[in-house]
Amino acid sequence: MRTISLYVEKESFIHGLDPVTKLWLTASLLIIPFIVGNIESTLVCLGINLALLSVARVIRRIFSILAMSLVLIITLFIIQGMFYGGNRTEAFALGSLVFYREGLRYATLLTLRFFNIISASMVLILTTRPSDLIESLVRRGLSPRIGYVLASVLQIIPMMISNTSTIMDAQRSRGMETEGRLVTRMKAYLPLMAPLVMSSLVATQERAMALEVRAFGARNPKTFLHEEIISRHALPIRVLTSLGLVAAVIWRVIL
Amino acid sequence: MSAKPKTTPAFTLSTMSLVLIPVVVGINYIGKLFAQTLKLPLWLDSIGTILAAFLNGPIVGAIAGLINNLIYGLTVDTMSFVYAITSVAIGLVSGVVGINYIGRGVLPMLGIGLLVGIAAALVSTPLNVIFWGGQTGNVWGDALFAALRKGGFPLWGASFLDEFVVDIPDKVATVIVAWLIFKGLPKRLTRLFRRGASA
Amino acid sequence: MKPEVMVQDLSYRYDDGEEKALDGVSFEVYPGEFLGVVGPNKAGKSTLCQALVGLVPHFFHGNMDGRVVAGGIDTRETTVDELSKTVGLVFQNPFTQVTGAKLTVYEEIAFGLENIGLPRDEITRRVDEMIALFGLEHVRHHNPFELSGGQMQRMAIASIMALRPRIVALDEPTSQLDPQGSAEVFQAVAALRNQGLTVIMAEQKVEKIARYADRVLLMHKGKVAACDRPEVVFSRDNLLDLGIRPPAYTSVARELDLRRPDGTLPVTLDDAVALLRNSSVNS
Ligand SMILES: Nc1ncnc2c1ncn2[C@@H]1O[C@H](COP(=O)(O)OP(=O)(O)OP(=O)(O)O)[C@@H](O)[C@H]1O
Ligand SMILES: [Mg+2]
Repeated sequence: MRTISLYVEKESFIHGLDPVTKLWLTASLLIIPFIVGNIESTLVCLGINLALLSVARVIRRIFSILAMSLVLIITLFIIQGMFYGGNRTEAFALGSLVFYREGLRYATLLTLRFFNIISASMVLILTTRPSDLIESLVRRGLSPRIGYVLASVLQIIPMMISNTSTIMDAQRSRGMETEGRLVTRMKAYLPLMAPLVMSSLVATQERAMALEVRAFGARNPKTFLHEEIISRHALPIRVLTSLGLVAAVIWRVIL
Repeated sequence: MSAKPKTTPAFTLSTMSLVLIPVVVGINYIGKLFAQTLKLPLWLDSIGTILAAFLNGPIVGAIAGLINNLIYGLTVDTMSFVYAITSVAIGLVSGVVGINYIGRGVLPMLGIGLLVGIAAALVSTPLNVIFWGGQTGNVWGDALFAALRKGGFPLWGASFLDEFVVDIPDKVATVIVAWLIFKGLPKRLTRLFRRGASA
Repeated sequence: MKPEVMVQDLSYRYDDGEEKALDGVSFEVYPGEFLGVVGPNKAGKSTLCQALVGLVPHFFHGNMDGRVVAGGIDTRETTVDELSKTVGLVFQNPFTQVTGAKLTVYEEIAFGLENIGLPRDEITRRVDEMIALFGLEHVRHHNPFELSGGQMQRMAIASIMALRPRIVALDEPTSQLDPQGSAEVFQAVAALRNQGLTVIMAEQKVEKIARYADRVLLMHKGKVAACDRPEVVFSRDNLLDLGIRPPAYTSVARELDLRRPDGTLPVTLDDAVALLRNSSVNS
């Protein structure tokens, strides 16, 4: 049984930071380009993120993730290049299809922003075990009940997914058709869903009771089995990212 | 009964709701998975969110939607964070309307599907404009978008329609499936959820 | 001796229940005693177990009359989480009892202790103790869902026991297990007994109840049909009418008219064998 996560277990400076510091870092690098609003700031943040990802030795992952969005980005350039509202200056024409500078520039900004969002998030996601992130947040005031929900989602999904293939095989062996015409395939949908969905919903009652008898409803402050370790680099990093955010806001207001 | 000190927050989620949320997020996942496996032309990725709203009301529906996208964003597709508010809207709308119409046959469900589709498209449009210049990434929707823009149609309108044509059939189908599942559940279970919402 | 559990004229009807799930149930359990609860489907065994830990009426609401006092606490006047430090409940399905939020057996057992806010060193001390007591050393770092049914159920018992309750109720804890897992759980139950806990166990396997229980509570349609020593309860000749069958040894002994000095039938293998030896020596 695994939990779903993109976490890559490695030893690195970034891996060693506590989740909340990384969350801080990610959020700032993600938001700054939106505050400043130009291509240059996006490029700077993207650069920092890629540098962090290489320090964490997970940079390769990010390329495969970006490659998956290639089609989307190509259509972005085509549609914006041709139909962007501010299109004035012709860049080039392919037969009767005219592409404009403004649209292409806009598509570039959107693409860079998208790359930046992805790489900023990956600085957190690829280097942090989800359960550690959740526990850190609970320590800082997230309701432990919500923390429970988040942690159990991560385990319940792979479990349900691992059951799907069993169900597919069982239903097929009873003669259910899962290929062919659309109507046939649509008819197969509910019988595939029903067994898993019903049994997991019915199980909720006993699980809720089992949690209650383990003092899940207790109102006293909860304690933690594991000790939290905060690296000595956490503080400087938080200060730096805060300064970055402030600088971005100042830039936006003054310029 | 003895008087005991009780700190009652404005809204606490009952334990039933808390164990429901992971299950419905899982239902969203496998709903989508089976739709892909069967190559259906629909996403069917919010059956669980709507089911949570039917079982436990708009707030639990909204929270289920939010958590669904947070987790999806954390594990599969980062952009899903951004669309969390669409999922919240789906949970809210289906909960507000659904709770009153859930026992009244299939027809109201079509209406709810339509409403949920409109709500989803309304909330997604600004996001599509900010992040994708108005596109949705769906082939059919984007083809319509390109055609409309070529004909001089306003950006926001074109973007809304792009999302709308894709959302409507999907959300109607999703609501129907969620309703069928709801009907199949034992009464004593659905009752426990309902009461839990206010506890 | 002061009873550890006192159930007085307990009646309960679920919100949508047509009939009372419990109807005027009264009995007492003494410290260190093992009470077996038997009865056919829908007799009210689970509802009774849930009443002992306060889930009835706090979780189900519904309509409750009468009183349940466990370890000196009236269940109605406290919360389920408060009660968890005094009475524990183990459920039928090992799988649904896994919280799902913890990644190792060790963390899973610590779950309740984190909830009641114990300091870290106390948590680790208790979890280590439970791991040893229930033979979970070799799986302590495994994911809870990767365990076998028997291991999972032992983990569930350990999770409850870590809260150090004085009373433990078990609701058919082996009904979903294979014979191997079932045997493991009964070993764990024997360990509870040796710890001097007061144990209340609903169970279909009457042979096991006959072996472990000091007394047996026989339920039928929400009422107490009998509450006495196993030999007395299982010697009744209307057992089948009440929806349960006696232990196999008891049925055989009845056919052979093999009775104990007090007129009751033997209920365990050892008992029956001893009687049989005796009677063949005498004849
Ligand atoms: N959540 C519920 N809502 C309404 N009625 C219920 C609920 N749970 C149980 N009942 C009813 O209460 C009665 C007693 O059920 P209970 O589960 O306590 O019996 P049981 O002896 O544990 O049976 P089993 O051997 O099947 O586990 C039954 O008539 C049952 O239908
Ligand atoms: Mg039962």
